[in-house]
Amino acid sequence: MKTSPLDAQHRALGATMAEFGGWEMPMAYPSGTIAEHMACRGSAAMFDVSHLGTVRVEGAGSFDRLQRTLSNDLGKVAPGRAQYTHLLDADDASVVDDIIVWWHPGDDERFDVMPNASNTENVVDALGGADTTAERAVIAVQGPVSVAIADRVVPGIADVGRFRVGAVDCGGAQCTVAGTGYTGERGVEIAVPVDQAAPLWEALADAGAVPAGLGARDTLRLEAALPLHGHELGPGITPLQAHLSWVVGWDKPEFTGRKPLLAERERGVARHLVGISTEGRRPPRAGDIWHDDRQVGVVTSGNFSPVLGHGIALGFVAPTVDVGAEVEIDVRGKRISGVVASTPFVTR
Amino acid sequence: MLAAGTVAGMNVPPELRYSSDHEWIRRDGDSTTVSIGITEYAQDSLGDVVFVEIPDAGTAVAAGDSFSEVESTKSVSDIYAPVSGTIAAVNDQLEDRPELLNSDPYGEGWICTIEMSSPDEFGALLDADAYRALTEGDE
Repeated sequence: MKTSPLDAQHRALGATMAEFGGWEMPMAYPSGTIAEHMACRGSAAMFDVSHLGTVRVEGAGSFDRLQRTLSNDLGKVAPGRAQYTHLLDADDASVVDDIIVWWHPGDDERFDVMPNASNTENVVDALGGADTTAERAVIAVQGPVSVAIADRVVPGIADVGRFRVGAVDCGGAQCTVAGTGYTGERGVEIAVPVDQAAPLWEALADAGAVPAGLGARDTLRLEAALPLHGHELGPGITPLQAHLSWVVGWDKPEFTGRKPLLAERERGVARHLVGISTEGRRPPRAGDIWHDDRQVGVVTSGNFSPVLGHGIALGFVAPTVDVGAEVEIDVRGKRISGVVASTPFVTR
Repeated sequence: MLAAGTVAGMNVPPELRYSSDHEWIRRDGDSTTVSIGITEYAQDSLGDVVFVEIPDAGTAVAAGDSFSEVESTKSVSDIYAPVSGTIAAVNDQLEDRPELLNSDPYGEGWICTIEMSSPDEFGALLDADAYRALTEGDE
């Protein structure tokens, strides 16, 4: 199992570690998932997300390779910008991976493609490039005062806006900073050379960022209704079904999976992703979704919402079931009442 | 049922008995009624508890039956009856404050009491030393 460059920091803090995509990562610190979640909503939390992959694609032809492979239209952005995009299956337009592309400032042909941990090889196969994951740590600082805190530690970070990418000097090391995250909050993700990762982590903690584990990252992304690969995206699931049509550059002449995706758009989706608010505190983690005495779908993720104080879920349902519909979720034989809600569940 | 925690030196009160499902059982003197909850080790492994299914008083349970569920932000765990009998009192405040299982597992985080139908079963439960050995073996 792989370990993060920040492994010693997590252990010193008494983190509960767990396997995540082949990496041993902190699930929670002794503060607990809910306190970490609320720190992110109320002030600033920091997450070690070094398990995300980094695939460096650079040199002549890089833009063209990304543009004809990935779903989103890179032509809509520019160097110094980040873009959320998908790698689709050529045959059925399933989401092979969801990815953030960091387009380095000042270089038309230099990209850091950030896949999910377990999909890094798929992405290298599709795009070429070099897996540079082992050369850096990635620290996500997220929350309403996260950018101010990070800027105190690394002056210049505040200049990196939402979905922007900047090169920032942190303590003599060159860091790449993106205004991205996975919590629904304002924040930055900092890719720092491995040997500078621990001092940066410590400095961010001293400045007030609360260490938070992947447990909190999951409850935060669920409140923000952000999809997780392997749950809301994956084999058999297309961006259309997940309401991510905006991730698709429909006007591009070519991208992997374009043909089957156009065909699905033509005939209409057989199911779609919705959010469900449930009564009571029981997490609707998994189960069949019922509406009008018919099973109409299945939950893909669910948990207790620390901010709302009740259960929330994401799931795929028949296209006729939409916002406002009363549903029940069968959680291990017990029916929980819910209603299809507009998402994100928690807006900032 | 539970993943091993990483914190050493868990509190295992010597006056209590334990089950291999990481529950504690308290009996005062020769009373035929026992109270039960989950151990510090269990709450640490579960993480933040967000929901406890409060059992219904009056329900008959047999030793080993699952009669309740505890949900944390990361997983669900069954609660098994450590002894046979009838559920007597239940801790209603867990409905709004399930986090008491984390903050005070041996006190305010008690789950219910059971009026034992076969008090002999109590003697077969683990004592504190045996339970501690069990948790250390898990790690």
